[in-house]
Amino acid sequence: MTSPALRTRKISRLGHEARLGWTLVAPALSVIALIAIFPLGWTVWESLHLHELRMPWLGQPFVGLANYVEIARDPRFWAALGHTVFFTVVSISLELLIGLFLALAMNRVFRGRGFVRAAVLVPWAIPTVVAALLWRFIFESQGGIANALLVDAGILNQPIVWFIKTATAWVPVILADVWKTTPFVALLLLAGLQNIDLSLYEAAAVDGANAWWQLRHITLPLLKPAILVTLIFRTLDGFRVFDLIYVLTGGGPGTSTEPVALYTFNALLQNLRFGYGSALSVVIFSITFGLALLYVKGLGVRLGGDES
Amino acid sequence: MVLNPGIRVELQRTPDDANQRHQLYVQWLNARVGNPSILQLDVIWTPEFAAAGWVLPLTPYGPASSEFFPATIEANTWAGKLYALPWFADVGLLYRRTDLVPREPKTLEEMVGYARAAMSRPGGPHYGIVLQAARYEGLITGFVEYLGAFGGRIIDEKGEVVVNRPEAVRALEFMRDELYGSRVAPLDVLTWHEEEARYAFQNGNAAFMRNWPYAVAAISDTAQSKVAGKFAVSPMPKSGAAPNGHSTAALGGAQLAINAYTESPDAAYKLIAYLTAPEQMLERARAVGQYPTRRALYDDARLKSAIAIPLDDARRAIESATPRPVTPIYTELSEILQIELHRALVRQAEPQDALNSAAARINALIERTGMRKLMSGSAHTE
Repeated sequence: MTSPALRTRKISRLGHEARLGWTLVAPALSVIALIAIFPLGWTVWESLHLHELRMPWLGQPFVGLANYVEIARDPRFWAALGHTVFFTVVSISLELLIGLFLALAMNRVFRGRGFVRAAVLVPWAIPTVVAALLWRFIFESQGGIANALLVDAGILNQPIVWFIKTATAWVPVILADVWKTTPFVALLLLAGLQNIDLSLYEAAAVDGANAWWQLRHITLPLLKPAILVTLIFRTLDGFRVFDLIYVLTGGGPGTSTEPVALYTFNALLQNLRFGYGSALSVVIFSITFGLALLYVKGLGVRLGGDES
Repeated sequence: MVLNPGIRVELQRTPDDANQRHQLYVQWLNARVGNPSILQLDVIWTPEFAAAGWVLPLTPYGPASSEFFPATIEANTWAGKLYALPWFADVGLLYRRTDLVPREPKTLEEMVGYARAAMSRPGGPHYGIVLQAARYEGLITGFVEYLGAFGGRIIDEKGEVVVNRPEAVRALEFMRDELYGSRVAPLDVLTWHEEEARYAFQNGNAAFMRNWPYAVAAISDTAQSKVAGKFAVSPMPKSGAAPNGHSTAALGGAQLAINAYTESPDAAYKLIAYLTAPEQMLERARAVGQYPTRRALYDDARLKSAIAIPLDDARRAIESATPRPVTPIYTELSEILQIELHRALVRQAEPQDALNSAAARINALIERTGMRKLMSGSAHTE
């Protein structure tokens, strides 16, 4: 219907607006390029070189994918990846379960609800390193608090040294993470719960649905977006876990609780192997970025589904 | 300074933590920073800095290296040249409770026997022997002592990795037996560093302790120690079952080297020569209890009053001092060993398997870093 002249004018105006738009976002984009994309590009470039800060006699030759080949052949890397997945899956499952329970409780109307909500956040507010030191202190010696409690309760016959067996070394690590992060999970889920229309429950109750049915067919489906957001945050955190394990076990005994971030730290900052360490960083980045994409895609579909 | 009025000295603080200090040095030197012109190096860093060209050889200045304990010179020599002078020495010592242990043990086996006897006395200590066996550098220093006691080495004089030879396996088995067999050492030591061992010993909970000389001061202090005046030190004994074994103390301590990028290397050497002069070493011993690296001082009455333990015990310990492998790739070599030793000691792996794995990985490290070529090159220049 529009005349050609009008159309060109419109296009040129659109072009003008687009240009203006790009000009306006240019500062923001350049900041992102400078602080996110440039370092990432540099890391990828480093990862294609042999660069050992301690061994200048080796030079800095371009080695192609040799660093990545070394990673793929390194059993310690695969073990570290396994530990990371194990830590992430176990701690997040527990946090979601306990967090959901806490969120449901906090969602009820009761006296002192505001106080409880604030109090629950205390562990989350403590810096991870401090929390890790606390837990280390609890589990550290044979005369430590954990041993004393468990022996008194008759669960242990005699005190044990937690940090010298793989299975027992994981206990304080997982406990500390669950203790510290469950409040955060609970709060995210609580926000989701408060978005659910109460009339749904009323209608369900009128139809004779019991609490379990309501939880399964109203609460959980409508809570899915909040659960997914929580999962994104927590999985990415879990994959990058460093400080907690660095302080609690140092990756030991041997290297049997070492996560990929600690292994990378070691290669990069202890051994100063910049090429190899950069390759490891790129691998971790790719994994977490891939996970984030997967989640965002999943989340987007579900949000779209809710709208229809 | 009256001796060299033209030289002005500025002090530059660096982190106390050895790893952090090392990281800082490496960053400076990669950026070719010439300050500070003198670097205080840990004993295990000298070959790395020398091979990297970050510190200058001292040979042109003609230092009187024969006046120092040979081990302290060996640790600072790379490719036939001396790169740093030993400032003060740290050595592994065996502390024993004189009220629980009848005499200095002549062998490791005797030490374990005394430890068991002490533990079974009424009111005896919980632990026979405490040491440092967490997964960190301290584990290597302890292992080097047991290794020497059984006549083993990590790398031999030809540069071959020999850490999985029978002597080394027996040394590691002996350490493991202290934990699970004779049970003279508590499993806790697998997470312990120096301070935990010191607390246990000074609280009267152990008959023996492996530790550095620094602990003498605290253990002699009646305000915090229950065993002040009831302990003595000696070098770690050798094994009675190993004909080639010898009493071995791990060598630690600080070295002084000249930054290769400094503008005033001659002035830097003058300061190093001053700081490592006999008078200054006596002063350090008096002020902070750090042991001189010059042999002649151990015949000097002034040192006797400066250090807290009998001079002869200190001398014997330093004479039995053995450097950890003198190689530019020491730090990574140590990381490999720390992991494998710890795996064996927590019973994730058998000693032979752990040491085989360590040897294989150290050999791979030597290949990867071009060390084989560098080492054969260094043999030629000698």
